[in-house]
Amino acid sequence: MSWGQIGAVLAVLVIVFVAGNLWFHFVEAIFCQLKKWCFKNKKPTAWHTLPPEQELEGNEDG
Amino acid sequence: MGLFGNLFKGPQVDMAKSDANRKKMRVLFNQVVENGGDYKILFGYTEDVSRFNYGIVHGSKTKIGNLIVGWNEASQTIVVIPTVPDLSGCGDATFYRQSDILKAYQNKFPTDEFIIYPDRKGYIGIGVCEWLEDEKLYVYVSQDEEVKAFTDFFLKQFQKK
Repeated sequence: MSWGQIGAVLAVLVIVFVAGNLWFHFVEAIFCQLKKWCFKNKKPTAWHTLPPEQELEGNEDG
Repeated sequence: MGLFGNLFKGPQVDMAKSDANRKKMRVLFNQVVENGGDYKILFGYTEDVSRFNYGIVHGSKTKIGNLIVGWNEASQTIVVIPTVPDLSGCGDATFYRQSDILKAYQNKFPTDEFIIYPDRKGYIGIGVCEWLEDEKLYVYVSQDEEVKAFTDFFLKQFQKK
């Protein structure tokens, strides 16, 4: 097998990999938008943030 | 020897960072749980593995959820609070009392987890580990003693079949 053929095979593999990734992210983005649209009336879950002084103390320590 | 010793020792825990995160976990826990000081706590995680098939692309996705897990031996209760790896905040607490749950057991395969079924509708699988290096995915905390204590409590007092 010549270097040109090896290069062509590798190029095809790269194209398949990139196309697969693009397709995956495209489908994921559609599902994400659909979920947002379906559950837009859902009440967001409660979130408690760390008190700021504790956060600063933690950053100083580590 | 020093250089090779360090190479073969593997990754070391940054105890200052671990201790700071342990303090943050305690603050968050006490903020959300009434009488939080009565509970021992450790870091746990959930793994949600789902398969996908998008035609030309198929495989599996794993979602990691970080948890602060508290347990009280006197009331035989486990409390689970969702959080994020940097411990900037946490969600509401869910209580699992031994007398109220349907069943609880330690699962070994395919993953080593503590499984709790509060009812027939759903379950939670809690993974615990002494230390996980990847701080982008997991809370950075070293917790050998806590893991031993929690395992002991779960298997001797909380387990229900």
